[in-house]
Amino acid sequence: MGSLLIDNVTKSFGETNILKGINIDIQDGEFLILVGPSGCGKSTLMNIIAGLEDATSGTLELAGKDVTLASPKDRDIAMVFQSYALYPTMNVARNISFGLEMRKVPKEERDRIVDEVAKLLQIDHLLDRKPSQLSGGQRQRVAMGRALARSPRVFLFDEPLSNLDAKLRVEMRTEIKKLHKRLGTTIVYVTHDQIEAMTLADRIAVMKDGIVQQLGTPDEIYNNPANMFVAGFMGSPPMNFIEVEVEDGQAIVESAGETHPLKLPCAEAIAAKGLNRVVLGIRPEMITEPKPAPEDQDWLHSMSLDFDVVEPMGADTMAIGQWNGVDIHSRLSPKAGMTAGKGTEIQVNTAKAVAFDIQTGERIC
Amino acid sequence: MVANRSFNIGRLFIYACLAAFALFYLAPLYVMLTTSFKDIEEIRSGNLLALPQDPTLYAWIKAWSSACTGSECQGLAPFFMNSVKIVVPAVIISTVIGALNGYVLSKWRFRGSDLMFGMLLFGCFIPFQVILLPMARLLAELGLANTVTGLVLVHVIYGVAFTTLFFRNFYVSVPTELVKAAQLDGASFFQIFRHIFLPVSLPIFTVTIIWQFTQIWNDFLFGVVYSGPGTQPITVALNNLVNTSMGGKEYNVDMAAAVIAALPTLLVYIFAGKYFVRGLTAGAVKG
Repeated sequence: MGSLLIDNVTKSFGETNILKGINIDIQDGEFLILVGPSGCGKSTLMNIIAGLEDATSGTLELAGKDVTLASPKDRDIAMVFQSYALYPTMNVARNISFGLEMRKVPKEERDRIVDEVAKLLQIDHLLDRKPSQLSGGQRQRVAMGRALARSPRVFLFDEPLSNLDAKLRVEMRTEIKKLHKRLGTTIVYVTHDQIEAMTLADRIAVMKDGIVQQLGTPDEIYNNPANMFVAGFMGSPPMNFIEVEVEDGQAIVESAGETHPLKLPCAEAIAAKGLNRVVLGIRPEMITEPKPAPEDQDWLHSMSLDFDVVEPMGADTMAIGQWNGVDIHSRLSPKAGMTAGKGTEIQVNTAKAVAFDIQTGERIC
Repeated sequence: MVANRSFNIGRLFIYACLAAFALFYLAPLYVMLTTSFKDIEEIRSGNLLALPQDPTLYAWIKAWSSACTGSECQGLAPFFMNSVKIVVPAVIISTVIGALNGYVLSKWRFRGSDLMFGMLLFGCFIPFQVILLPMARLLAELGLANTVTGLVLVHVIYGVAFTTLFFRNFYVSVPTELVKAAQLDGASFFQIFRHIFLPVSLPIFTVTIIWQFTQIWNDFLFGVVYSGPGTQPITVALNNLVNTSMGGKEYNVDMAAAVIAALPTLLVYIFAGKYFVRGLTAGAVKG
């Protein structure tokens, strides 16, 4: 139905290579998220999928058919734009039915679909309004309604929530997830918000400099990042990176004036490469107040840490201290009642710690 | 208190200046109108600024239907119609072409489209005199010399540079994502223009039509060079009327004729002037 195969797609503008060989195989009904910093090529890739731009080389298959050279209207793809791109002079009903009108769907059929879509998105009371008379959230719904009306094979979402305020964004995020559950249509979704990526996606493609750095489930991306870029991009606050000496498979960190050897889960791989300095990667939630963690018993270390800043966030408290002269973030329970100050007793869990090559930033283990 | 008083004096000065300038600019119009309603005796004997003592339509009727323009004595009426026949198609055609050009140059960029726009822009700065001879030659080749069609063609060609500039700059402010959305909705090049762009274009159409109308109606040079005896526009006829003297000069007829020639553009500004200003600033405010 709506599977999408992106095979070695490249895009150059003159000498500049925006996309350098993208390969992604999207299953029918899958929710794929393209995530990456601005300028990584994710919007260009989106436009190529939509047919608004031509790929320089490579092919694109939709439901098993080559559509590399097909015009946008022949691809059966609908898109929700960041700016919503609602037609300013048409009312909501006409905005939703315009695509059907262009495809010569009879009037009664159009009215029925508009009705159905409006009910689904709870905008049936707005059908006579112009886009300028709608709030941001309502415009967002209309934009989605316009895409839904045509029941396309694939939906494209180009940063659809970035113009909404924080509360509405969370609300619409849930709506989109529900909608996907209900319709089961393939979705390709571009965002630079890693929380959106983690919460919505079946699979995430993390992009940088026109290359897919890693393609995997949110869990794989979060827990098994392929390189320092992916590890640093996903997660908020990001993973802590500390350059460390490695001795006997243990990373040496200096905290509050004392040195501590931390046991690494991948000592063999580091030894096999003959490295004695690596970048240690450890998530903030692995640095906590002392608490029992029976399954990771072997990986727990206690040490004291000087907290420079403590940021209570309600559910968590973020505290910032230093290891080896580098800021590290830790995620504490507010119940621990931590305050800024010297020599706070903490617990470090290295069961999921990772190590990166200092030169290349690639994951060692 | 002191600040308030100096503010008032400043205001007073400004209003006085404005009033003085307004009077200065309106004076000729006043003289033209009053003179056109006087008879020739009163003009010879009376004061230039005095109101007509015995208002008469004689001069207006003569200017419209029987004053001599060269050897013919039919008044301005036939030439007024010539001007209408030139202006209406020239305005419509140049505006439509400009709208399509602007649409393409802002939303359907192609290799060299910026260069093309630059060259069109250059057309705005070409003086009339430069193209007189080549254009005369071209019109002769086309068999359009001394015809209304020929004059329409000249004005369309000359106007397209301006109308393209207006529309292109207006359409640049329309979000390109609307075009993309409409493309995905399956709309074609012309369908997008008709359904998305035309409905938002009222301000710029107003500006362009007013601009083109005044330019072409007021044109004298092209009119005098490319017209024949039966196809002269009103500006040329007015010139001939004023320069044709049989016996004494009839200032009242000259004045009435000048007002008739200027009337359409005057009316356009009086009735559509505010839309003109609004249209010019519409893009700026919307950003």
